[in-house]
Formats: sequence, C-alpha cells, structure tokens
Amino acid sequence: MMGLLDTLMNLFVFAFIGLLIWLYFYEPKKESKKRDDQQRTLEFKNR
Amino acid sequence: MFKNPLLLIALALTIGVSIWGIIDTQGLSNFASEQVKITLRSRGWFVMLTVSFLLITSFILALSKFGKIKLGRDDDEPEFSTMSWLTMMFAAGMGVGLLFYGAAEPITHYLFLAGQGAPPPKAASNAMLITLFNWGLHAWAIYGVTALAIAYFGFRKDVPQLVSGPIRATFGNNPLVRGTGWLVDLLSIYAIAIGLAGSLALGVFQVQDGIITLLNLKNTGMGLTLTIFGILCAAYILPLTVDLSKGMAVLSNTALIIAVALMVFLLLFGPTSFLMNGIVEAIGQYFYQALPAGFSTLAYFEEGAKVWFESWSLNYMVWWLAWAPFVGVFIARISRGRTIREFILGVLLAPTFFSIFWFGVFGGLGFYQSAASQLDPAIVQENINQTTFLLLGNMPLSKLTIVATSVAAFLFIVTSVVSAAYVLAMFSTGGSQNPSVKIKLIWGVILGVLGLVMILSGSVGAIRNIIAMSAGPFVFVILLLLVCLLKTIKNEKV
Repeated sequence: MMGLLDTLMNLFVFAFIGLLIWLYFYEPKKESKKRDDQQRTLEFKNR
Repeated sequence: MFKNPLLLIALALTIGVSIWGIIDTQGLSNFASEQVKITLRSRGWFVMLTVSFLLITSFILALSKFGKIKLGRDDDEPEFSTMSWLTMMFAAGMGVGLLFYGAAEPITHYLFLAGQGAPPPKAASNAMLITLFNWGLHAWAIYGVTALAIAYFGFRKDVPQLVSGPIRATFGNNPLVRGTGWLVDLLSIYAIAIGLAGSLALGVFQVQDGIITLLNLKNTGMGLTLTIFGILCAAYILPLTVDLSKGMAVLSNTALIIAVALMVFLLLFGPTSFLMNGIVEAIGQYFYQALPAGFSTLAYFEEGAKVWFESWSLNYMVWWLAWAPFVGVFIARISRGRTIREFILGVLLAPTFFSIFWFGVFGGLGFYQSAASQLDPAIVQENINQTTFLLLGNMPLSKLTIVATSVAAFLFIVTSVVSAAYVLAMFSTGGSQNPSVKIKLIWGVILGVLGLVMILSGSVGAIRNIIAMSAGPFVFVILLLLVCLLKTIKNEKV
C-alpha cells in the first residue's frame, strides 16, 4: 500500500513537471492574445 | 464579509484545525508527523530539486540581460535607500527562529555527526555547513522567487499583490485560472496562519525559558506558559485596532538592534579569534559546498541518517515554503524601483552573510563552551529551548543578555503576528491595502488560538510537523509562480 502511494505521489510530481513545461511554452489563442496586446498598448500609452 | 467565500473557507479551515488541535492535540500532532513523513519520504527529492532550481534560476536571472528590468516602471526610483532596504530585509528574515536555533542547531547536528563516528573537528565543521545550508541561499531563494514574482507583476504590471496575481496576469481570466488562483490564495492564507502560529508558540517557549533561566524557576508547568501567551496576545491585539504602523516599525527595529547588539557583544566578549576563525572557515566551506549540498538527498545512507535529513534540512525547506507568501509579500512591498539584479543579489546575499555571522557566533560559542565543559551539549536533546539561555549564562552580563533576548523574542513575535494578521486580512479580501479592523481582529484571534494549539502540543518537533503539513502544496505553487515570471519576462524588450 505504501509502495503504491509512493508511486502515485511521484507520478503526480512527474505530471506536474510536465504541466509546468507545457505552460511555459503555451501561447493563448490569437483573439485573446490580441486583446492582451491592446490592453498592454493602452497601459503603455497611459504611463 | 459574509459574501466573501475565500475569507469564509479560509476561516473555516483554520478554525477547524484549531478545534481539532484543542480537542485532540496529540492526534493532530501524530497525523501531521505521519503526513510529513510520507510526503518527505516520497517527494523529498522533488523539494531539494526545486530549491536548487530556484537558486540557480535566480542567479541566472540576476546575471542575464533581464537583470536590468525594474520592479516598477522604467523611470521608478527605489522607494528606500539601499541601507534601509537591506535593514528591512534583515528584519523580514530575522525572527524568533534565529534566536531559538542560533546555538541549538549547530550543536544538534554536531551531536548527530559525532554519534555517526565523525571526528570532532569534522563534525563541528559539517554541523556548521548543514546549519548554514538550512538558513542560507536556498531558503532565501524560496523567498526571493516568491517576492520577485509578486513585485514584478505588482509594480510593473499593476496586478494586485496576491500570490495568485501572477497566475491570473499570465494565463488570463478563464474559470480554470480563476479557480487555480483562488485555491492558491486559500493555500497561502492557510500556510501563513499555521506558520505564524507556530512561530508564536516558539516565541512563547523562548520567553518562558528566558524567565525560567533568569529567575532559576523549577516546574512552572503550563501556568507561566499561558501567562506569557496571554500577555503576548494582549500586546498584539491592540495594534490591530489602531494604525500603529510607525510604532510597529519602532518595535521591529528595536528587536533587530537588540539581536544584532547581542551578536556583536558575544563576538567581542567571547572567544573572538575562535569565533572569527570559525566564521571565515564557514564562509569558505559554505560557498564552496552550497550548490552541491542543495542536490544532496542522502540517497545511499542508512535509515537513521535519512530520518535526520528529513527532520532537519527537508523540514526546513518546507518550513520556508510555508513562510514564502508572508515574507515574499513583505519583501515585494519594500522593493519597488529596484532592478531584478539588485533585488536578487540583495535578497540572496545580504541575509545569507548575516546568517553566517549569526550562527558563526552563536554556534561557535556553543562549540567553544562545550569543549570547555561550560555547556553540556546534550541539553539540546533534553530542552532545546534553553540552549541559548544556558549559553548566555556562561557569558558576562548574563542577566542583562537573557532579559534582552527574551524582550527581543517577545517583540519579534508581536510585530510578526501584527504583520501576519494584516497580510491575512489583505489576502482574504482580494488584495485590499486597507482591510477592515474587524477582519484583522478575526485573524489576530485565529492566530492566537492556533498558537495555543501549538503550545499545547508541547513539542517543537510537533509544531514543525504541523507547519510542514500546511506547506506541502507550496512547492507546486512556487514553481507555478516562477513559470509565470519567466514566461512574462521573456517578452520584455531589454
């Protein structure tokens, strides 16, 4: 039982590491990116 | 207040733990111990890999072109002078733990290593190395990355200074991200509450042992403990009801001045050259071995060594993770206008050098007195709380230094709890910079009740396990914050 728990916990960790790597390279879809860019432009102009 | 689900659930969670602890202190303590053992045995490698990764990434960031990016707008100047900033950093990292473990920890590690057959000089040298590893660069890398993410997004992207701020700013506003952010804030609140309550309990033990040593009391039982606890609660509740921010700053600076003066006093009136020899050796040993030590998991050692490693270094790293939201928010708030390079180098190096001196003096003095048979090192196994005071008892002006240490411990706890109640109120109200007195008071009371639970556990080990249990998820949160930071920073034009 402990061995199974140990394996599951470590599997979770490996999956999380994979998720982090994916999140780092993940780019949001073009429409939401366009909205974010417009928002950033507005913020820049207002400085 | 009743329309704020985050606040209500956070309160329910912390009150639930408080009730459990009061009804069945031993049960909570055993549960925490078991959970921590399972977690650290299974995922200890991940904790060590994470803290090493945080440290290496911090240095790479500092030395890269991104080091020039300001935490704020490009024309923002630092809010505080460098000296004030560093002093406040010391105050953030300086706490009752340093007073508590200053001598006790090096001696504890020395006894363990000597028991494993290491010759005394090697045991002493390695004991100091292990202590500095636990309190040095890796600990501050945990705080630094958390603070950097909050400061960068807070000052440069105008995001609320919550732990979830960077996550929402990076990944947008869809339900999954909002839910993750909400959960991260809840975990932060829970970890801060448990962590600060643990420190409150340690502070009470420290002050209690100061009084016992000073007045040569015996068998004080819970009476003295609860009296000190009551006075502490009264001392921190008042500042929550009125704006005493200037007064709090004075108290915090006073505690810091007392602690630093104590360290300098011991250095000058103790065996100065012995202590300085130890400090210089510690500097070389530590900086040469810090990085490899971060990857050490005692993989091929026997059970006894593994248990000790989990009880100390791993437990510490998880303890720092529990403190990261609290210390991170504080460091972030004082760092507007600094460049990332200044920030990282300041946060990592200044407190680490201070720790080298601190443990070099207290730990070195412990070794010296043990060798001179002025101090029985086995005291750390019987009553770890008393170690600092017994050490001071062998030095000149012992009554004064014992009183000063007790006062410093008291002030550290009061100022920490007041700050924590403010941060908890801020986190649980969506980042409001002026949370209501009612909510601050509620958190103040909860911190007191949780602190009482920890005190009733009667054991420093139990306190540390309860804190470690609360901090478990943070190893994931901090990596997520780092991803948010790196992902956003790479788009900066430098």
